[in-house]
Amino acid sequence: MMSSILTQIIFLPLFMAIMLGVFRASLETLKIGAILSSLGTLILVLYLGYEFDPNGGMQFVINLPWIKNSGISYYLGLDYLSLVILLLITILMPPLYLYILKEDRKGYWYNMMLLQTGVSGAVLSLDLILFYLFWETMLLPIFIMIGKYGNGMHQYNSMKILLITILGSMSMLFSILYIGYMHFETTGIWSFALVDLMKIDFNAKTSIILAAGFLLAFAIKIPLVGFHTWMAPAYGSAPTPAVVIMSSIMAKLGIYGIWRFGFSLFDTTLIYYAKIIIAQALVGLLYYAIRAITEDNLRRMFAYSSGSHLSLIALGLFLTNEYAWSGTLYFIATHALASAGIFIMIGLTYKRFKTVNIKELGGIASKAPLFTFFFAFFALSIAGLPGTGGFVAELLIIIGAFKYNIWVGVFTALTMLSAMIYIFWMLQRTLFGTPNNETDFKDLDIKELLLLFPLMVLLLVTGIAPSLFISSFEPQLLSSLEAVLSATKGLQ
Amino acid sequence: MIEQLYFALPMMSVVIGAFVLMLLSNSTKISLHTFNLIAVFFLSISFITEYLTLSNYTTTYLFEDIFGHTFILDDFASIFDMMFTAGAIFTLLVNNDYFKSRTYFSGEYFALILFSVFGMMMLSHAHELLSAFIALEIASLSVYTLVGFHKNKGISSEAMMKYMVLGSMTGAFFILGTALIYAAVGSTTLDDISLYVNSSNMEDMTLLVVGATFIMVTIMFKIGAVPFHSWIVDVYHGAPYPITMFMASTFKIAIFAIALRLYIVNFASINGFWTEILQVLTILTLIGGSWLAISQTLVKRMLAGSSIVHSGYLLIGLSSIGLDSQFAASSIMFYLIAYFISAVGSFGVLSFIASKSRKQMSYEDFKGFAQQRPYIALMMSIFMLSLAGFPSTIGFLGKFYIFTSAIESGQFFLTGLGILTAFISVYYYFKLIAMMYFYPSKSPQKKFPIDISTIIIVIMALLVIWGGIGTSLIPFVPGADGFIDIARSAILSLS
Repeated sequence: MMSSILTQIIFLPLFMAIMLGVFRASLETLKIGAILSSLGTLILVLYLGYEFDPNGGMQFVINLPWIKNSGISYYLGLDYLSLVILLLITILMPPLYLYILKEDRKGYWYNMMLLQTGVSGAVLSLDLILFYLFWETMLLPIFIMIGKYGNGMHQYNSMKILLITILGSMSMLFSILYIGYMHFETTGIWSFALVDLMKIDFNAKTSIILAAGFLLAFAIKIPLVGFHTWMAPAYGSAPTPAVVIMSSIMAKLGIYGIWRFGFSLFDTTLIYYAKIIIAQALVGLLYYAIRAITEDNLRRMFAYSSGSHLSLIALGLFLTNEYAWSGTLYFIATHALASAGIFIMIGLTYKRFKTVNIKELGGIASKAPLFTFFFAFFALSIAGLPGTGGFVAELLIIIGAFKYNIWVGVFTALTMLSAMIYIFWMLQRTLFGTPNNETDFKDLDIKELLLLFPLMVLLLVTGIAPSLFISSFEPQLLSSLEAVLSATKGLQ
Repeated sequence: MIEQLYFALPMMSVVIGAFVLMLLSNSTKISLHTFNLIAVFFLSISFITEYLTLSNYTTTYLFEDIFGHTFILDDFASIFDMMFTAGAIFTLLVNNDYFKSRTYFSGEYFALILFSVFGMMMLSHAHELLSAFIALEIASLSVYTLVGFHKNKGISSEAMMKYMVLGSMTGAFFILGTALIYAAVGSTTLDDISLYVNSSNMEDMTLLVVGATFIMVTIMFKIGAVPFHSWIVDVYHGAPYPITMFMASTFKIAIFAIALRLYIVNFASINGFWTEILQVLTILTLIGGSWLAISQTLVKRMLAGSSIVHSGYLLIGLSSIGLDSQFAASSIMFYLIAYFISAVGSFGVLSFIASKSRKQMSYEDFKGFAQQRPYIALMMSIFMLSLAGFPSTIGFLGKFYIFTSAIESGQFFLTGLGILTAFISVYYYFKLIAMMYFYPSKSPQKKFPIDISTIIIVIMALLVIWGGIGTSLIPFVPGADGFIDIARSAILSLS
C-alpha cells in the first residue's frame, strides 16, 4: 500500500477520467466522479502527511524500470518540498470543483482531472524524463481550457501561452538529454534519475548552458520579469479554475523546479548567478507592482500582483539562507491559498456583474456584506495582512533579505509596501463608494461560503500558528540548505 | 531449396498477388471491395510469413546459386518488409470507404500498390546496386502512376508529371553513381564495394566517393530533403489521399532501407566524408520544411511540408552515423517506426474525412470538428501530438533517440536546431488541435462509425500511446522497450 500510494495519488484522477470517458458517463456521474477523485486524493495525501517523517528525507520512494534501454525509470518520491505543493494541489481541487459545480460542459471536468494528474506527477517525479512528461502533460488541459472555455481573444492567447511555455520546455529537454548523455559517457549506463545525475561533475561552461536550459523553462512558468509576456493575456482570458491553477500551483512548480532540479544539479552555478536573479526578482517586484497599480481589469491586476509575489518567492529562494528559504516555502503555500481565494472571488464577481473592470464596479459593501468581507480578506492576505500566513512568510523573506544584504532588504521591504497601495486602492474603488451598477447584487450563498471558508481558515491558521507548520519541514529544509551551501562554499 | 523458397515467400506472395490482381482487373463483376480484400490477403500472407521467418536465419543470400550475392536475407530487410506490407495493408484498409466514394479507382490500382510494395521489398533486400536501382524503379514507377490515378483531375495529372519527370531524372543519378562505382571497384555488389572501401586509401577512392555521392542525390530527392524538395508538397497534394498516405508512410521508409544499408555498412569507413554535406542538407531541410509547413492552409499540404521536417530529423541521425554514434542507426530505425505509425494514423483520419465530403480539408474546415466527431478528433489530436514529439507518445521517444544520438556524436548545433524546429512544429500541429476543439460546430454530433477504417485508426492511436508509455512490466507485450529492441536487432543484423 505505502509503496504505491504516490502512484495512486497521481493516477486516481486520470483513471477516473478515462473510466468516465470510456463509459460515456452522464454529466451528473461525471461531476460526482470528479469530486470523488479529488476527495480520494485528498484523503490519500492527508494520510501521507500523517505518515510523513519530518527528518526522513525522501520517502515513499518507488523506483521501477520503465524504458530500460535508455535508463528511464518510473521513479517517484516525496520530501518536505513536494509534500507542501502536493498538499496545496489536493486541498485546492475540491473547492475548485465546488466552484464549477454548475458547469455543464463536460470537457471542463475532464481537463481538470487530467490537470491534477499532470501537476501531482510533476511534483513527485524524480526521473527527469518522467518529470518532463508530466510537466508537458499539465500544459495540455490549460491550453484547451483557455482556448475552449476562455473569454476575449482566448484562442489566440491559448496558442501564445502554449508556444511560449513549450519554448521553455524544449530548452529544458535539451539540457535533460545532454545531462543524461553525460551520465552515460562517464559511467557507461543510461540514467535520468536525479540521484544519479547529481553525481556528475560539470565543468563551469557546460554547467552554465545546461542550467540556462532549465532556468528558461522555470522562469517562463513562474514568470520572472522578462519572461512574462504570456501572463496577463493568459490570466485575462482563462476561465477562473484555470487561473487559480496557473497562479496557485503551476507558477509554484517553476519555483519547485529550480529548487528541486536546479539546486540539485547546478548548485554552484546557481549560487554564482544568484545576484543576477535576485536583481531580476527585485525589478520584477517593482515592475509588476506598478503594472498592477495601473491595471483596471481585476483579473489582470491580480495577475500582476501574482507576478510580483512570485518574484518575491524567487528572490527568497536565491537568497539561500534559512530565513529566506523557510519564508519561501511558507509563501508558496500561503500565496497559493490566498490567490486561489482572490481569483475565486473575482470569478464570483464576474458571475454577478459580467465584468471585472474596476471602473464599472463599486459600492459592493453596501449591498453584500459577506461578499465584501471575504473579498477584502483574501485581497489583504495577498498583501500580507498580519494574522494571515502571507504576513509570516513575507516577514521571513524580508528578514532573509536583510541578512543577505542590507540594501536588498531595504528594497524588498519597500517594494512590499507597493502591494498595500494597489490593494487598498482597488478595495476602495470596488467595495466602497457609490454603486456603479444598479443591478441587484446577490450576497454569497451557502455553497460559495462552503468553498471559501476552508481557504480562509487555512490562511488564518497559517498566520496565527506558523510554528506548527514550519517545524514540520524545517529540519529537512535546513539540511538541504546546508548541502547546497557546503557544496558552494567560497562562492558566497 | 525449400527453405529458401520459404524465405522468399513474403516477396513472392506480394508479386503473385500483384499479377493475380492485374489479371482480374479486367473483370467488371468484381467490386473494389473484393479487390481490396484480395490485395490485403496477399499482403497479409507476406506479413505473416515474414514475421515467422524473423530471426530464423543467420544472414544468408537468397538463392545464392542463381542470383549470387544480389539479394540478402537479414532481420534488417525483414523488419523493413514488414513495415512495407503493414503500410500497404493499413493504406488499403483505412481507405476502404474512400475507394467506394470515388469512381476513378479500379482493379489496377491494387495491382500497382502490390507492385510498388514488391519493389520496396526488393530494395530492402538488394545487395547489389543495379538490382537496387531496378527495385527502386519498380517501386517508383508504380507510385508515379498511382499519383496520377485520378486522370480527369488537373492537379493529379500535374502532380504525376512533375513527380515522374523529376523522379526519373534523379533516378538517372543513381545509375550514373552505380556506373562510377563500377568503374572504381569493378563490381556492383555491396560485398565487393565494402571490401574495396575498407582496403583502399581515401585518395584512391575519388571515383567511388563521387559515385556514392550521386546515389545520395537520388536518396535525398526521394526523401524530399531540401533543396531537392520542390516536388513534395505539390505531389502530395495532387495525389489521391490513399497515395499520399502510402508515399508518406511507406515509400519514404523504403528509401531509408537502402540508405542505411549503404551508409552504415558499405561506406562505413568513409562515412565521415558525407557528414558535412549531410549536416548542411539537414539544416536546410529542417528550416525549409518548417517554413513550408507553417505557410500552408490545407492540412494535407501541411502534413506534406512537415514530412520534410521529419526527413530532416532522420538526416540528423544519418549524419550522426558518420560521426561514429553508437545509437544513431537504431534511432533512425525507431524514428521510422514512430513516424510510420503517426503518419498512417493522421493521413488515415484525413482520408476518412475526405471519404465523407469532397472538400479540400483546410484548417478552417476543421473548426468545431471535435464536437461533430469527438472520437476521431481525439485520435487526430493524438497523432498530431506524436508528430510534434509531445511526451507520452511514440513520437517523443523517436525524437528522444535522434537527439541523444546527435548529442552523442557532438552535433550540438543540429540538436539545438532540431529542438527548435520541433518547437516550431508545435505551432502547425497544435493549430489543428485548436481548430478542432476551440470552435463550436455548425453541424450536430455524428455517431462514431465502426468500420475497418475507424478500427485501423483506433489501433494506430493506441499504438502511438503504447509506443510512448507502454512499459515492459506487462509480459509478452512489447512496450516502448520492445520497439527499441526491434530497431536494435534490425541494425545488428546488418553487419
